[in-house]
Amino acid sequence: MNVLLTGASRGLGLATCKTLLERGHAVYATSRTKSAEISELEEKFARQFFFKQADLSDPESARKQIFSPDFVSSSVRLDALVNNAASAYDDIATNMQLDEIERMFRTNVFAPMLLTKYFLRHLLLHSKGGSIVYISSVSAHTGYKGLSMYAASKGAIEAFSKNIAREWGAKSVRSNVVSPGFMDTDMSSKLSEEQREKIRARTSLKAETSVKSVAETVAFLLSDAAESITGQTLCVDSGTI
Amino acid sequence: MEKIKEIILSIRANKGINEDFTLTENTSLRDDLGFDSFDLAEFTVKLEAEYGIDIFETGLVENIKDVKDKLNLK
Repeated sequence: MNVLLTGASRGLGLATCKTLLERGHAVYATSRTKSAEISELEEKFARQFFFKQADLSDPESARKQIFSPDFVSSSVRLDALVNNAASAYDDIATNMQLDEIERMFRTNVFAPMLLTKYFLRHLLLHSKGGSIVYISSVSAHTGYKGLSMYAASKGAIEAFSKNIAREWGAKSVRSNVVSPGFMDTDMSSKLSEEQREKIRARTSLKAETSVKSVAETVAFLLSDAAESITGQTLCVDSGTI
Repeated sequence: MEKIKEIILSIRANKGINEDFTLTENTSLRDDLGFDSFDLAEFTVKLEAEYGIDIFETGLVENIKDVKDKLNLK
C-alpha cells in the first residue's frame, strides 16, 4: 500500500508512519519541519519512506509541493491518505483572535479538504479506489475549557469525512475518522499535571490514550480488514464518556 | 481529437460501455456521451495528465468544441 501522510515529524503522525513502514507499506510523509526521527526513518526505510517538507497553513502551496513530479507524481499509485497534521489554538472564547483561528482552520480543515480533492483526482487518474483517514479529537465530542475553537475545526473535518464517504463510496473510496483522546504528545505538552489528572478522571479506563493504539487503529482503517467500514468515526480515547 | 476519444473510450469502458461512437465538435459530454459528474471529473483529470490543463478551472464545458478550446487545440 502507498500512503500519503501529513504531520509525520512527531507524535501520532510519527507513530503511524512507523506502524505502516514496519508492515511493509510505502509512506509519502510530509510535515512543516524535518525532525531527527524523520531522518532516521529515511535511513532505515530508504526504499519505502519518502519525505517532503510542506507547511499546510498555506494549503494551495503545500498541495503543489506534495502532488508534484518530485514527490507524489502521477506515476505513483497512492492507495491511502492520512490527514493527521494539525495545529492547536487554545484559549477561552472571549480571547478569540480571528487571524489565529483562520491559520488553524487553514491547517486543520482547508488543507485536508484540498489534499482530499487531489487525492481523489489521483485515484480517478488511475481508475482505482482508496481509503482516507482524518484525525479528529475527543474535544469534538466532549467539551473542554479552552478548546472550543480547536474542537470546531475537528467537527468540521468530521462532517467533511462523512460526506466524502457518501459522495465517493460508489468509486470504492472509503473515508473514516479516528478521534483520539488526550495522548502524551507535544500537542498536549502544555497541560499541567492537574489538568492531566482531570482528563484521566473523565475516561472509563482512567488513563491517557495510547499513541500506539491510535496508530494501530489508523492502520486498521486503511487496510482491507476495514473494507466494509466507511463514513465512521472511531473514538480511541480510553472510553471518554 | 484521437487522444480525446481514447480517454472517452476508457471512461466508458470503466462503465461497461464498449460500443464505438462518432465524435464531433458538437458532441455533448452529458447528453450524447451520457457523462455524469464523476465521469466528467475523470475526464478532466485524464485530460490534465495529458495536456497539463484543467478544463473545468475556468467556466463551463458543454461539448467537445469547448474541450478543444480549453486545451488550445485546433
